[in-house]
Amino acid sequence: MWGIFLESVVIFKNYMGFHQHRYLAFLYLGILLYLWFAEKNRHRRAVFVYAPTLLLLLFFCPLFRKLFVRLLDDSETYYRLLWLLQMSLVSAYGVIRLCAKHRRIGTALACGVIILCGDYVYDSENISRAENAYHLPQETIDIVDLIEPEEGRITVLVPADLIYYIRQYSTNIELPYGREMLIARWDYHHPMYEAMEQAEVIETKSFVELAREYPCAYIVLKEDREMTQPLTEYGFERYGQVGEFVIYQDME
Amino acid sequence: MFQIAGILLWLVIIPYCIGLLPAGLMAADKRNPGLIFLMGYFMMWALFGVVTIPVVLFVRYDNFILASSCFMSLSILCAAAGVYFAYRRAGSIKELVRFRRVSWRGLKQSVTEMSWAERIEWSLFLLLLGFQLYKAAAYASFDGDDAYYVVVSLIAQQADTMYTILPLTGRHTGLDIRHAMAVFPMWTAFVAKKSHIHATILSHTVLPFLLIPLTYLVYFEMGKLLFDRQGKRQEIVARRTSGVVRTRKGRAADNRDAAASRENLPLFMLLMAVFQIFGNVSIYTNETFFLTRTWQGKAVAGSLVIPALLWLFLLLQRSREQRDVIGKKRQRNQGLWLMLVCVNITAGICSSIAVFLVSILMAVTAVCLAFVERDIKILFKMGAVCIPSAVYVLAYLIVGYGYLLK
Repeated sequence: MWGIFLESVVIFKNYMGFHQHRYLAFLYLGILLYLWFAEKNRHRRAVFVYAPTLLLLLFFCPLFRKLFVRLLDDSETYYRLLWLLQMSLVSAYGVIRLCAKHRRIGTALACGVIILCGDYVYDSENISRAENAYHLPQETIDIVDLIEPEEGRITVLVPADLIYYIRQYSTNIELPYGREMLIARWDYHHPMYEAMEQAEVIETKSFVELAREYPCAYIVLKEDREMTQPLTEYGFERYGQVGEFVIYQDME
Repeated sequence: MFQIAGILLWLVIIPYCIGLLPAGLMAADKRNPGLIFLMGYFMMWALFGVVTIPVVLFVRYDNFILASSCFMSLSILCAAAGVYFAYRRAGSIKELVRFRRVSWRGLKQSVTEMSWAERIEWSLFLLLLGFQLYKAAAYASFDGDDAYYVVVSLIAQQADTMYTILPLTGRHTGLDIRHAMAVFPMWTAFVAKKSHIHATILSHTVLPFLLIPLTYLVYFEMGKLLFDRQGKRQEIVARRTSGVVRTRKGRAADNRDAAASRENLPLFMLLMAVFQIFGNVSIYTNETFFLTRTWQGKAVAGSLVIPALLWLFLLLQRSREQRDVIGKKRQRNQGLWLMLVCVNITAGICSSIAVFLVSILMAVTAVCLAFVERDIKILFKMGAVCIPSAVYVLAYLIVGYGYLLK
């Protein structure tokens, strides 16, 4: 039980970003404590004080965590219980109550604290300028436009960089393996993925044999991907190039 | 042009008209366009869940065609019924679209009544909202889950089938119950199909323009309740008319309170907007989900559905307060209970985990409210609201773990 409790503490710390020195949680906890003493309206007290406190207690309760994980068969999403606290709502309400006599200065100070203790969401490395209305890399769209059949579906082998995007543009392109292979902790194995991504140098003969099992109508490789022999020696033809990606068509 | 018309019809007109239906079950002074719009959305999503989930579970081929036809007919029917009943209540078309406090003239009056400081605060909030919308349109946010959630919508749009093709590769697959019952991506596919917009463009570029303002609308409605000028005034008037003697100091405090209530709302909205932008303390927070995965069901659950529940709790308790403080008769609030049911079902279409989360929140809040009210009936009422969630969980367990019973 102690171990389960400690796991919950780690989840809480990760959620609140303590490991990255983000301390917005203290603003929330401080406001919650303040509301315990200051909130007199019994309904708001129930919704903004008692319920979040009870939810926090439940979150750290080992028995509750055991039940939650057993029922949902998933321990990775336990952090979502913290969504129920609605930290921003409770904090914003509490700040305005706390600074009732100096609302504007109080709000300005609170904004400063949020900016200092929080993290600017648009700074994330996962956010970049959109190249098109699909919000997909333009190279993906250009590749699919080049190889997509007018009717029916084809299987295409693409590098890991394109796996996330290619089917967001067209579902007429099928893949031998998908995103599941790219998440190490999911621990999937796939011979085609191993031949394509994990080998330092692609062993062309076995690679082509595997690709033809699906069969892959096209193979897309990065320009600098090393192979024991070029694909053109095994019945493939260079079909085109988009950026750093070279497209080979299987002519057999 | 046709695409814009489709978007307007399915994202604005139909939800608003559907909202007129539950709004009729509420006291007239509580109705306003924002509330009707929110009610319309939650009712529409609940209808979508009720129609689509059984189709996903029991129909295998061309199931998207069946579900979208049924949903389209039902929502048009509800929208027409909403307009009809609203027309009957109002007596004329002019009355139907006129709201006491939200007319153009009323809005102009509110702005002229505001102090310069308030105007600046509202402008700052609108600036931050505009900034979030600009970022949503001009910047792409990479999220690996899109390889599932966006593609599953695109498959429904392009192949007319739901959850029979594995989005990650395109191979055929059996029913994955954990994802299949959360049919929010199918609603995206429905709108995409009807408006002839590629589901990926709809998800990444169009939906943020709906879901971000809709979320702030919930915060705004909540702020209005928390810093309610009208309620404060009523309370003050009631004190005066009920013969409670107030000293000059007390009266001055009352007037200060009423003015402060109005001024608090823009500050509250401003703080909420700053919180969303700087709430990215980790990749797990609902604020991060809200601005980086806006179009995904789980983000909608965390940022829209859960706050909406809190808002409804406060709204339901408001009629009790009004009765206690100013002796108002019990107000019509069946519409709010209906909304509570719809929000619960909406949680189910957003994510299967959200059903559990929302049920936990309902249970915990019901216990707290029953405790402060000394009224055990609240537990039964909230329990009744959770019946659709219980059915959902039961279906989830039977389909997901039924093999254990064999």
